[in-house]
Amino acid sequence: MTRRPPPPPAPRRRLTAADWLLFGLVAVAIGFVVWRVNAVLVYNWNWSRVFGFVVRVDPETGAWVANLLLQGLFTTIRLAFWGTILAAIIGLVMGYWRTCETLALRIVSRTYVELIRNIPPLVFIFIFYFFIASQLFPAIGLDSIDTASPWVDNAAFRIAFGDPRLFTNFLSGLICLALFEAAYITEIVRAGIQSVPKGQWEAGRAIGLSRSNLLRDIVFPQAIRKILPPLAGQFITLIKDSAIISLISVQELTFLATEVAASTTKVFETWILVGAMYFVLCYFFAFVFARLERRAGRGHR
Amino acid sequence: MRPWTRLKTAIAAAAVAVAGLATAVTPASAEGLLETIQKRGKLMVGMSTFVPWAMRDKEGNLIGFEIDVATKLAEDMGVEVEFVPTAWSGIIPALLAEKFDVIIGGMSITPQRNLTVNFTAPYANSGQQMAANIALAGDFETYDDFNQTSVNLACRRGVVGCTILEKHFPKANILQFDDDAQAFQEVLNGNAHAVISSAPKPAFWSEANPDKIEVAFNGANLSTGNEGFALRKGDADALNFFSNWILVNRSNGWLAERHDYWFKGQSAWIDQVALEQ
Repeated sequence: MTRRPPPPPAPRRRLTAADWLLFGLVAVAIGFVVWRVNAVLVYNWNWSRVFGFVVRVDPETGAWVANLLLQGLFTTIRLAFWGTILAAIIGLVMGYWRTCETLALRIVSRTYVELIRNIPPLVFIFIFYFFIASQLFPAIGLDSIDTASPWVDNAAFRIAFGDPRLFTNFLSGLICLALFEAAYITEIVRAGIQSVPKGQWEAGRAIGLSRSNLLRDIVFPQAIRKILPPLAGQFITLIKDSAIISLISVQELTFLATEVAASTTKVFETWILVGAMYFVLCYFFAFVFARLERRAGRGHR
Repeated sequence: MRPWTRLKTAIAAAAVAVAGLATAVTPASAEGLLETIQKRGKLMVGMSTFVPWAMRDKEGNLIGFEIDVATKLAEDMGVEVEFVPTAWSGIIPALLAEKFDVIIGGMSITPQRNLTVNFTAPYANSGQQMAANIALAGDFETYDDFNQTSVNLACRRGVVGCTILEKHFPKANILQFDDDAQAFQEVLNGNAHAVISSAPKPAFWSEANPDKIEVAFNGANLSTGNEGFALRKGDADALNFFSNWILVNRSNGWLAERHDYWFKGQSAWIDQVALEQ
């Protein structure tokens, strides 16, 4: 007979005096920094000019329209959306290949992961953009898509990919970002698949399931549940990393923010505002993923 | 090895080979740049935001000296113009990677750059000036005053100004920033004694902060630059066309007139951009 350890004490739900003291100290520290910034920094704060770059009033119609920063945010959201999908697909395939029986596929996926993980993101982005994207896109005719054709110049395309004239630019940024993040997702997926106990594989094989059935019905459902938290973290990292591709002049939030900062000379307002925009975006995704996680955990005991 | 596995291996190997081949084979463009532009009906211009060469107005549209130049150039060629805003540090690689046809970005002609790209005749000659913090460097008068180990000088990364600083002030610390606004802000905050930039920016900042910033050396230029269009190497026809377009518009006074509009004070266009007054 084994004796169970006593249950841990229930977490405290009320704040004590010590907690309030701690909060107070943090508040004082923040106040001190703000005071120092105001005392030392010679700067005319002027938020209204930067806000004008979020939305503006169209003088002709009198309606509110998105200005540069909001357009940039939309591009970042598009990058996040398509990047997540693309990175998930590549990561899933590569992650499966990592655990595959075929040696060649294992070599391919391993090479991919090691290559990308051991190059700084900035260097990878430059190499990809200048050597691969600029060779590959013209070769498959992507550089000369007709921006006026009805396939491209319609509302659905604009919502999904933004301005057709910037599509190639957007696409190279997107693929770059997805390839980069997918290397990390590959490793998460591999860990997930390998975390499923060997007995599950053996049992599946013993009852005569084919490999694809085994994966689909037994291994993946268990793996997905385990990798959802790190996967969510990686997708949020993807949103933040999308700022790096501003260096290859993809017209997303960070790139347009540098333009606004240079044009208005309001450097601090621009970056504080842009920081807040990223925070809201990432926090929203964290919230969505947390709900998904809870839902995935519900069906499982 | 089972046949199926062997087949999969072969397919994987083939996929890798095809991907490699697609990267290696570049379609050789037989026709010249001018024909490409005419056929496309659009001149693609690489530029980077830099007041007052190119900047954003309140509506987010591009305006500035360079924008005027490129727009007229395209008009004279009978094509549309498309601007490709590009990060300055990557603008030459982007030109080489054919992201656009030409850089019209206030790029000063330097021998080093010229080894990589072709330059047209200059369409502007900008002076390099320094804006100094009055409290820190108000009494500095000679180059020697700035050439001290205790002096911090700021510049925008990758511009000619940085090279000038290194040449004239080898003892000073040089701080490089990704855009001009940050570099000027460092001077305003007193973290740098002075910043180098092309005229008229130092004067604009001094006007905006008269008690903090002054133009060093009473507004004398540290050097004068020659700004030309930058093109990929190997196309003499395009180079000839662009150079002569500049020549023509220099002789008829159009370039000088536009240059004065944007560079002689900001009163003519300040309402469009809502810059610091």
